Amino acid sequence: MKTRFHILAPLVLAALAAAGTAQAQVGQAGRLLASNCFQCHGTNGKGPGFDTLAGKSASEIYKDLKEFQSGKEGNGIMAKHAMGYTDAQLQALAAWLATQR
Amino acid sequence: MDRRIFLSSAAAGLVGSALTACGGGGSEPALDLAGSPRRRPGTTTTVVTPPVTPKSRVIVIGGGMGGATVAKYLRLWGDAISVTLVERMPTYTSNIMSSMVLTGQRSMSSLSFNYDTLRSKYGITTVFGDVVAIDPVAVKVTLANGTTLTADRIVMAPGISFDAVPGLGASDKMPHAWQAGPQTTLLANQLKALPNKGVVVLTIPKTPYRCPPGPYERACLIADWLKVKKPGSRLIVLDANPGIVTEVDNFTNAFMGLHGGVIEYRANAEVTSVDPATMSLMTTAGTVRGDVINMIPRQRAGTLVATAGLNNATEGRFAGVNVLSYASTVAGAEKIHIIGDASATTQPKAGHIANQEAKVCADAISRILSGGAPDPAPVTNSACYSTITMTQASWLTAVFQYDAATSAMKGVAAASGASTGWDQDSFEEMGTWFKSLMGDSFA
Repeated sequence: MKTRFHILAPLVLAALAAAGTAQAQVGQAGRLLASNCFQCHGTNGKGPGFDTLAGKSASEIYKDLKEFQSGKEGNGIMAKHAMGYTDAQLQALAAWLATQR
Repeated sequence: MDRRIFLSSAAAGLVGSALTACGGGGSEPALDLAGSPRRRPGTTTTVVTPPVTPKSRVIVIGGGMGGATVAKYLRLWGDAISVTLVERMPTYTSNIMSSMVLTGQRSMSSLSFNYDTLRSKYGITTVFGDVVAIDPVAVKVTLANGTTLTADRIVMAPGISFDAVPGLGASDKMPHAWQAGPQTTLLANQLKALPNKGVVVLTIPKTPYRCPPGPYERACLIADWLKVKKPGSRLIVLDANPGIVTEVDNFTNAFMGLHGGVIEYRANAEVTSVDPATMSLMTTAGTVRGDVINMIPRQRAGTLVATAGLNNATEGRFAGVNVLSYASTVAGAEKIHIIGDASATTQPKAGHIANQEAKVCADAISRILSGGAPDPAPVTNSACYSTITMTQASWLTAVFQYDAATSAMKGVAAASGASTGWDQDSFEEMGTWFKSLMGDSFA
């Protein structure tokens, strides 16, 4: 847990600072969204699979996903796939993935 | 809070008592609730001293893609729930990639997965046996050996079962090979024994069936293999549906173009009866004979769903569920959740999406058992690869968002579709995807 705390994205820190159930719900929603990534990037984004997501910052993951959405990364499976999520969902799952080291 | 009071009295602080609550007979192996204090068998010594936090209990029935994943994630996402996985077989054979056993590209052992990691890493208890009855109201499971197990929730992941094929009886001459196992080996051997210039027939049942692109990719794979190994042979594809049901562009191009000299595709050809003695299929489009027949029958939920009276959807074939939690929609059976191919949803019946349904279900159950409500806006996804040749593949993906207006998962149009064509890169990615998906489900 120690390692987790010092790398947390500000957004998540703020969420953790909030009290009680509301905080748990915010984190949990991001976690469930992020779990859509695990089939191809491993549980908690830690592989085995395609690119490892654990260890990246929230902004890095979010930026990559937006680039897939924009078509800048070609028309592969991730470009198509990324279209399925709203901006808020991408932010929430990126923030959760950033807690994984 | 009622639940806690009930549990604390039932569990009384020791696993030995929890066993009694589960109705385990004295001769049954101890239900090892890993991570919690326990007694050593044959002693009265309590191994761990800290006070016991009573756990909620969930029984998972069926250890396939959905069942293994829900068991894993119920434990990964919190220590407040103990999980018992009940499964018939000590190992699971993956349906995904199993058509490549037919072409000799994969071994059965490469498709075999066990429950060791679920036990050792996540503290899941496994019970190998046949479930014969489920009481949805008492939340109770009865095994063939008379053991009964009770829990706060039951998750059923029994997969599919097949409609009886009139005339087939117990004959092994027309295997479906649609549940990977002995039938896969049987069909592989029958194909191996096919003479040159032989006729292979593959039948596709009416939707909904397990793995929508599956029969079409198998047809492509067999056609490619026939070209090399059985020159002059043909493959007749009899589709009970009015046309190719998914990835239409790729499969149409492959059937008409690439494999046009081998595949003969007939739509609206539903098998009505068969005669194994003459290797004939009577269909709505006439009688068809083959040297090897891969007869894939129409499907319904695993038999336990009907046994428990939960087959209230798709004309009694599948289980209606609330897709926020996968709880049954049968009145009084709300504590029974059904995931994967056995449930009736707008999502395809396939391993990747069963894995994601399992995570939504695990998250919902953990919220419910701690006094909360399921996530009101779950998202699920699917990705898969189809073998178009023995070395090239296409891909298909979909994302589903919860739609409150219809209380259903709704496919996002922009995120649902297939590759334009097929290539070797996708074939290689298919291997990476398979390894990752199986790891996320079983390890």
